[in-house]
Amino acid sequence: MTLRHFLRRRLLMVVPILLGITFLTFMLLRIGDQDPVAMLGGPMADEAALAEIERELGLDRQFFVQFGIYVGKLATGDLGESWQSSERVADEIRNRLPASLELLLSAVLLGALVGVPVGLRSAQRPNGVFDQVARFVSLFGFSVPTYWIALMAIFVFFFLLGWAPPPLGRLDLATFPPTDITGSYLVDSILTGQWSTARTAAGQLALPVILFSIIVAAPIIKHTRAISLEVLGSDYVRYAKSQGLRPRTVRRIALRNSITPVLTFIGTELTGLLAAVSLLELIFAWGGLGQWGLNAILTGDFAAVQGYVLVLALFSVAVFVVIDLLVLLLEPRATLRP
Amino acid sequence: MSLLEVRNLHTHFISHDLNNNQRVAKGLNGVTFDVDKSEVVGIVGETGAGKSLTAMSIMGLLQPPARVVEGSVTFDGNELIGLSAEDLNRIRGTELTMIVQSPLTSLDPLSRVGKQLVRAQREHRDIPKEEAWTAGIQTMTTVGIPDPERRMRAWPHELSGGMAQRVLIALALINGPRLIIADEPTTGLDVTVQAQILDLLRDLVRDREMGAMIITHDLGVVAHYCTRICVMFAGSIIETGPVREVFNNPRHPYTQALISSTPKRIAEQGYGQIGGPPPNLYALPQGCHYRDRCAKAADICHQTPPLQNAGGGHQARCHFAVDDATATPTVTHG
Amino acid sequence: MTDVTVTTPAPVPGFTWTGRILGITRRSPTFAIGFLIVAIFAFIAAFANVISPFGPIETFSDKVLIPPGSEFWFGSDGNGMDVFSRVMHGARFAFGIAVPSAIIMLVIGVPLGLIAGYKGGMIDEVVLRSMDVLRSFPSIVLALAVVAATGQSLINVVLVIGFLDAPIFTRLVRSEVLALRSSGFVDSAVAAGNPTWRILFVHLLPNAIRGSTAMIAVRMAWAVRISATLAFIGVGIQAPTPEWGAMIRQGAEFIISGEWWVATFPGVALVGIVLGFNLLGDGLQDLLDPRRKATGK
Repeated sequence: MTLRHFLRRRLLMVVPILLGITFLTFMLLRIGDQDPVAMLGGPMADEAALAEIERELGLDRQFFVQFGIYVGKLATGDLGESWQSSERVADEIRNRLPASLELLLSAVLLGALVGVPVGLRSAQRPNGVFDQVARFVSLFGFSVPTYWIALMAIFVFFFLLGWAPPPLGRLDLATFPPTDITGSYLVDSILTGQWSTARTAAGQLALPVILFSIIVAAPIIKHTRAISLEVLGSDYVRYAKSQGLRPRTVRRIALRNSITPVLTFIGTELTGLLAAVSLLELIFAWGGLGQWGLNAILTGDFAAVQGYVLVLALFSVAVFVVIDLLVLLLEPRATLRP
Repeated sequence: MSLLEVRNLHTHFISHDLNNNQRVAKGLNGVTFDVDKSEVVGIVGETGAGKSLTAMSIMGLLQPPARVVEGSVTFDGNELIGLSAEDLNRIRGTELTMIVQSPLTSLDPLSRVGKQLVRAQREHRDIPKEEAWTAGIQTMTTVGIPDPERRMRAWPHELSGGMAQRVLIALALINGPRLIIADEPTTGLDVTVQAQILDLLRDLVRDREMGAMIITHDLGVVAHYCTRICVMFAGSIIETGPVREVFNNPRHPYTQALISSTPKRIAEQGYGQIGGPPPNLYALPQGCHYRDRCAKAADICHQTPPLQNAGGGHQARCHFAVDDATATPTVTHG
Repeated sequence: MTDVTVTTPAPVPGFTWTGRILGITRRSPTFAIGFLIVAIFAFIAAFANVISPFGPIETFSDKVLIPPGSEFWFGSDGNGMDVFSRVMHGARFAFGIAVPSAIIMLVIGVPLGLIAGYKGGMIDEVVLRSMDVLRSFPSIVLALAVVAATGQSLINVVLVIGFLDAPIFTRLVRSEVLALRSSGFVDSAVAAGNPTWRILFVHLLPNAIRGSTAMIAVRMAWAVRISATLAFIGVGIQAPTPEWGAMIRQGAEFIISGEWWVATFPGVALVGIVLGFNLLGDGLQDLLDPRRKATGK
C-alpha cells in the first residue's frame, strides 16, 4: 500500500468519527437550557421579533434538517457565523488558532525537552533518590490545576517580583502585531526583523509557556519512565549485556528502543492539550482559540461551538496521522497495513 | 584446572513482604561443577531448579533482588564473582558467550543483523568495519545461514525462530569463545530445527575445542549431545557424571524417577511416579531438600547428605547413593 | 518402605499492625503518603463544622478582604466570609463529588465492560465504537458543553463526570474479561452449569475489577479537578457555595491587586486532595502489581 493510499484511507475512516462528534455537539446544544434566541433578542423583544430571529438563525427548522444544512455547508468550508461577533466562524478560527498553537507547541517542546531526560534518568535507578523526587514532582504536576498555578505565578512573578509583564495577552498595549506570515507573533517578528516586537512577544510568552510546560511534563515524565523501565528489563537489553557490550552502548540500545513509544505517547497527550490550554488563554487574555471556544460554549453561540469542537477533533486526527507517519519512519517493524 | 569451575555458589532473592518481614528465596544452594574444553555438560532439572539462575549468576546478569551471596566462579583461573562490570565485559561476549531461549526477542529490534555482528566485534576489538563485516558473513556461513550477504541486512523481526537462533550462535562465536553457555537453546523451535542447532553446537565444540554448557529440561537432548550431565534440584546439583553412566545407573532417587519417566523406560516398565509439589525456595527442608518427595526418605535425611562417589566421575548427593549396588530404580508402579 | 513426609506450607511470619504498616510503606511509600493525605481530608470533611470557627457562608460585610491573621486564619474574601471555614467545608464538596461520580462511573462502565467482553460480537462492537466516539471528545469541552446545556447544579456535574469517565472502566473491565475468557476460566464456569448472570457477577466481576482499583483513585482525583475547573469557568457550582473551584474564581480578580489569600488557600487544598488521590492510585498500582518493580532472575 502506498503512502497516499494509506493517508487517504486514514482520513476516510475519520469522517464517521467527525460526523459523530458534530452530531453529538449539535444535539447537546439544541436540547440544552440555553436559548440563543432570547439572548440575541434581549429583554425587549416581542413575539414577532423573536420569531424573526429564530428564522434567521435557522432554528425554526426540524432538527435533522438543520443538521443536514449544517453538514452541507461544512462540505463547502462554510462553518457559519458567530452570533456573538457576527464574524464568520472560519475566520475567527483562522485568526485565533495560531495563537493557541504558538503557546501549545512551545510548551510541549519545553516540556518534552525536560520531561523525557528526567523520565529516562529515573528509570536507570528505580526507587533511588532521583526517581522518588521525579515521581513526586510529576504527580504534583498532575495535581495542580492550570488556572490556579497560573494565578499563583502571576501573583509571585508579576505582582511581587515584577519579573513578568502584566497578563494582558500576546503583546503589551503599546506594541503592534508584526506582519502576518505564520500567525505566531514571536516567529513572525523574528522573521521580519522586528526585534522589539519579538522581545515583547517573548516576554509575554514566557510565563504561560513555562507554566504549561510543567503541566505537559508531568505525564511525560511518568510515561517515559515506565517505557524506559520496560525497555531496560527487556530480553534484548539483557542479551546485550551478556555480549559484554559497553554500558554506553547498552544505554544507547535502550534509548533508541524507547524513543518511538515515547513519541507516540507525546502525540496522544498533544491531542488533549489544545483544549487544556484554553484555561491558560483565559487567564492570560491570550486571544487564542480556547478562550474564544470557552466563551462560545458559555454564551450558547452554536456555530462557534460547533466550529471549535470540529477544530479540536481535526487537530487530534492530524496529530494521529503525524504520529503514524513518524512511527513508520522510525520503526522497521511497522508496515503500511490498514 | 578446568575451563570453568563453579564452587559452592549460593544465589538468594532477598525481599520484604507486606508485613515488613524479610523473605529470602534460596535459588542456588551450593552449586558446584566444572566444564572443561571439548566437553558438553548438560544441566537438567525441573522448572525452578535453578538452571537458568546458574547461568545468570555465572554471567553476572542477575538483577535485584537476586544476588550471589556466597561461592566462586573461576573462568580460566580468573574469579568472576565480584568482578567489575568493565572487567566482566572483557570476558563476556568474547571468551565466555551465551545463547538464550528466546532468540527473536533477544536481538535488538532496531539494528540489522549485520550491524549487530559488527557491533559485537568492534565493542571488543579495534578492527575496521569492513573486516568485521566480512567476518560476520563468514560466521553466518559457519552456522549454516544460507545467503549470508542478504541476511546481514535483514531486520531481526524478519527472521524465523531457527534462523534467529543461528544468528545468536554466530554472535556467540564471532569473537572466538572458549566456552558457550546455551540456556534452553531449542525451546520453541521445530524438532528438525532443534536437531540442526544442536548438531551445529556439537560440531563446533569438537572442531574448536570449546567447552559448552547446555541447560535444558529435555533429557533426550542431554542423552544425544552431552558428555556429562548435572542434575539440579532446589538449587543444588544432586547428581553428576558421564551421561551414559548416569542414565544407565542413576543413583539419586530424583534422577531415578526422571530417567524412568522417559518414553523408552515407560514402555519397558510402565508408568512411574515423580510425586510432589515444587520445593518452596523460601522454606527449604533441613538436610536433604528432596526428602519431602522422596520414596526412600528416612531419619538420616534430616542431615545434609554428603556427595557420594559411585566411581568414574559419577557422584550423587544422597545417603543411599552407593548402598544399593544393583541400583534398579525404586519407583512404585501402577 | 519408610514414610513419606508431607510438606507443610511454611507458617506465615508474624503479622503485627506495625509490621503491616511498615511493610506497605516500604513497598509503596506513595501509597502510604496518599492514604495519609486522603485520610486527613476525609477527617476535615467529616468534622468541618467542628474545625471551622465560622460558618461557610457566614458573612461579615464590614470585614471584607482582611489579610490572614489572628481573626481570620486564612483571611476573608470579597464578601467578608472566612476563607478558612470555607476551605474546610469545601472538602465536603470534594468528596461529595469524587465519591458519587466514582460510583456512577463504575455502575455504568463496569457492567458494559462485562457484557461487551463476555458476549463479544455485535454488542461488543457497538459498545466499543460508542466508547471511541466518547473518548475522542476532549473531555473538558464535553463536560463544559453538557453542563452548560443541562443546567448548573451539583448533581448534573456529578452525573456528567461519572458518565464521561465510564468508558475508561468499560475498556479496562472488557480487556480483563477477554483475558479471563481465553484462559478457560469462563468455560469451566459455563460447564459447571452456572447461569449467565451468575457468571458475570459472581465469577467475572471480582476478578475483572481488581485491575481497576488504582484507576478508581485516579479518576476520583480527576473528578475533583474537573469539577473545580468547571466551577472556575463559571459553570456548575457557583458562589456562594464553598466549592474550591468557585472560590478560586472569586479570588482571581483579587490577584492582580495583591489580595492573594482568597485564591491561594482553596487552591492549596485542591492540589492537596488531588495529589492525595493520585498518590493513592499510583501506590495501589505499586502494591497490586509488583511485577512493575525491579525484576529478579
